[in-house]
Amino acid sequence: MAELLADPTAGTRPVDGTRSPAPRWRPAARARAGTPRGRATGGRARARLLAGGGLLAALALAAVLVPWLGGLDPRAVDYGAIRLPPSPAHPFGTDAQGRDLLLRSFAGLRVSLLVAAVCAVVSTVLGAAVGAASGVLGGWPDRLLMRVVDTVNSVPHLLLGIVIVALYRGSVLAVIASIALTHWTGVARIVRSEVLSLRDRPFIDAAISGGASRGRVLRRHLLPAIVPQAALSTVLLLPHAVWHETALSFLGLGLPPHLASIGNILGEGRAAVLLGSWWIVAFPAVLLVAAALAVAGVAAWWRDRTLPRRRSELGL
Amino acid sequence: MLSAVGIVAGYRRGTPVLDGVDLAVEPGRVVGLAGPSGCGKSTLARVLSLLMAPWAGRVEIDGTPAGGARYRAPRAQRTAIGVVFQQPRLATDPRLTLGEIVAEPLLATGRGRDPAWEDELHDRVGLTRELLGRRPHEVSDGQLQRACLARALVLRPRYLVCDEMTAMLDASTTAALAGVVAEQARAGTGVLAVSHDEELLEVWADRVERPWAGSAA
Amino acid sequence: MNPPVGRPGNAELRVEELSVRFRLGARGRAGTVHAVTGADFALRPGRLLALVGESGCGKSVLAAAITGLLPANAEVAGRVLLRADGRDLDLLAASERVLCDQVRGRRIGLVPQSAATHLTPVRRAGPQLVETVRRLRPQAPDPEAVVAELAQRVGLPAEMLRRYPYELSGGTAQRVGVAAALAGRPPVLLADEPTAGLDRPLVDRVVDLLAGMAADGHAVLLITHDLRAVRRVATDVAVMYASRLIETGPAEQVFSEPWHPYTRGLFGALPGRGFTAIPGHPPDLTAPAGASRGCGFDRRRPDLHTCRPNPRLVSRGERALACEPLPC
Ligand SMILES: [Zn+2]
Repeated sequence: MAELLADPTAGTRPVDGTRSPAPRWRPAARARAGTPRGRATGGRARARLLAGGGLLAALALAAVLVPWLGGLDPRAVDYGAIRLPPSPAHPFGTDAQGRDLLLRSFAGLRVSLLVAAVCAVVSTVLGAAVGAASGVLGGWPDRLLMRVVDTVNSVPHLLLGIVIVALYRGSVLAVIASIALTHWTGVARIVRSEVLSLRDRPFIDAAISGGASRGRVLRRHLLPAIVPQAALSTVLLLPHAVWHETALSFLGLGLPPHLASIGNILGEGRAAVLLGSWWIVAFPAVLLVAAALAVAGVAAWWRDRTLPRRRSELGL
Repeated sequence: MLSAVGIVAGYRRGTPVLDGVDLAVEPGRVVGLAGPSGCGKSTLARVLSLLMAPWAGRVEIDGTPAGGARYRAPRAQRTAIGVVFQQPRLATDPRLTLGEIVAEPLLATGRGRDPAWEDELHDRVGLTRELLGRRPHEVSDGQLQRACLARALVLRPRYLVCDEMTAMLDASTTAALAGVVAEQARAGTGVLAVSHDEELLEVWADRVERPWAGSAA
Repeated sequence: MNPPVGRPGNAELRVEELSVRFRLGARGRAGTVHAVTGADFALRPGRLLALVGESGCGKSVLAAAITGLLPANAEVAGRVLLRADGRDLDLLAASERVLCDQVRGRRIGLVPQSAATHLTPVRRAGPQLVETVRRLRPQAPDPEAVVAELAQRVGLPAEMLRRYPYELSGGTAQRVGVAAALAGRPPVLLADEPTAGLDRPLVDRVVDLLAGMAADGHAVLLITHDLRAVRRVATDVAVMYASRLIETGPAEQVFSEPWHPYTRGLFGALPGRGFTAIPGHPPDLTAPAGASRGCGFDRRRPDLHTCRPNPRLVSRGERALACEPLPC
């Protein structure tokens, strides 16, 4: 009989053209449950979105509401309550000036996230623009732009940032500029290499043949392809930007004291840790990490959605 | 007439793939381009579709020399030549739906969507309504190549270059798409059908060219 | 020769009532694609079964189901039984670890569509084959000798082993792919479109190689849209239409006298046999595949075929046919 044929169990099933009962479906992925890839199902992506989005929303809401609802001024100094450990009255404890750390942390989170987000977005946009221009134009503009990238990279970021901030002391804009202007180079490199790898693909040839201009190809085919990469860079830059802002604040070059950020709080709290007041640093740091993870979760879900081909291949 | 005169082209300096090749495609004919792999068929197709600049020689479109290759070619010249590539999956933007892929040249040239004409093309190449909303990874190679052929025809090109268009396709889809292209030729389009499949070209093309005599290959 | 109908015989791999569907969107809300419906066939040593059909009919999904390489949104039903150490191993129920450690490469060799892209570009072909042999046959005392023997079997000149993958032509790269598939001495070989994009002489060489493997006693499944290659080497043919096997049988009988009107239409699309496309399209597999709807060809050619409810392969002699009365 035919190799194929068909019917090794003919004795148990009718061969007259009728069908055995409806198939018993089971997930093929179950066979692959042992691998991380096998678990990357739609339900998991949704869970990641819900967890990340929920956490982010909760943190953002708290950052707005806690300082406001608390009724207390996060800057209110109370020398009768210096370095109190966490208690019902002060769930996060108090710092060296007796300020309530719960209020202060959420107020700081608001400032930190805003500053870091602005920095991350500005440097991503700048980097993407430079990288895309470099990749699309090629030739001498590419060489020139890449030389600029090398130059910026050759100077320590913090040093360059300090120079910028020192020129405009105490200005929020200067802090943002000092961080954004030193962190776009990584994005520029990533975007450039992505554009270079896409530039000669047949679907770009097809677009050219269809009459598309350089700008059209960039807008319609190249930029959408690099958006996920750029978004990921933004997310990765967020915690880094906070750290930079902390470093600047520590050096007295950061945000003005009335705009206390998590960076300021961590900077001020560093000395207190040696005195055993772990909570002064711990709670603000935990808030910061939670916020960064929440942003990453949402970004991962979004990346999976915009990159259907890679849906089951990537895990953040 | 779409013609290539004395084309010298290649990818690595000093080793031309094509060395002085001539070829002409008349309106209304299906001209087959045959040859073994590595002989430069696809390179010649790319040069003729203005996607690659030759080192020497020139491409003429209805007597006018091409003004360059890729972005340097004037839009009117580029869009006078439709191109269908070998691998539909690589030749389509994975983010666009099949309907958007077909309409993209209309938007890129600022002509705007033309639902009646698009629908006629969908029917002609055999793209069903429900396929138009899907993305490339949700359809088969054959279905995607149908969209690619519609895209190549949407600007009503005077010439059509099919570079191994059927290499990834099954027999029935091959016959169907070759039929659409042949129909297009009867309506006056000049077609260059590049294929390694001599048996296919024998029934598809009006004549088969093998201009490799003077070539390096 | 061939055992009579209904006896499992010496099959290396038996596919029984295999169905595969894909749930699109969250929890399948965007629809369900029925890619394979109730496939039944067996692979036997010494035979080369070619699975043919239009693109999108489910051929490649069938291959992915056998090797456990379906994407995560796939669901399967039925059984894929692999003969292993005298027992039957159901590949659909096997864990990824079992598939990885015992099946892929060791019992089922995979010849990829484009071997050049499956090789590491930064290492020469020979060392990569040696490494494959080391991994799949750790007990082999001299992997280099094994590779030399493999190269000889697939007709790879020794100097090709010293080349980098990008320096190999498509046909040579495919031969490296076949050698890698043979490295673990698997009894079953599975080739999914191994000749896509190659020109005729190279196609012939690659499929001749597969035919040689079958002659050496391997059970070979060749999935391809290239009917001329099938005609050249296949001992058996299975024709797939819209997720179902609709006709199976020894190759020369099916080619010389196709029974199902779809098979006739498919062969009639060959440049040498009419070059006429089958009008219309295969049905959309997203539609709910009620078992009662037949093979679906009647919606494409109502003049040639009337579907019967609950189609399944009905055999006569070595051949089988679905959804059509057996010819007298
Ligand atoms: Zn039927």
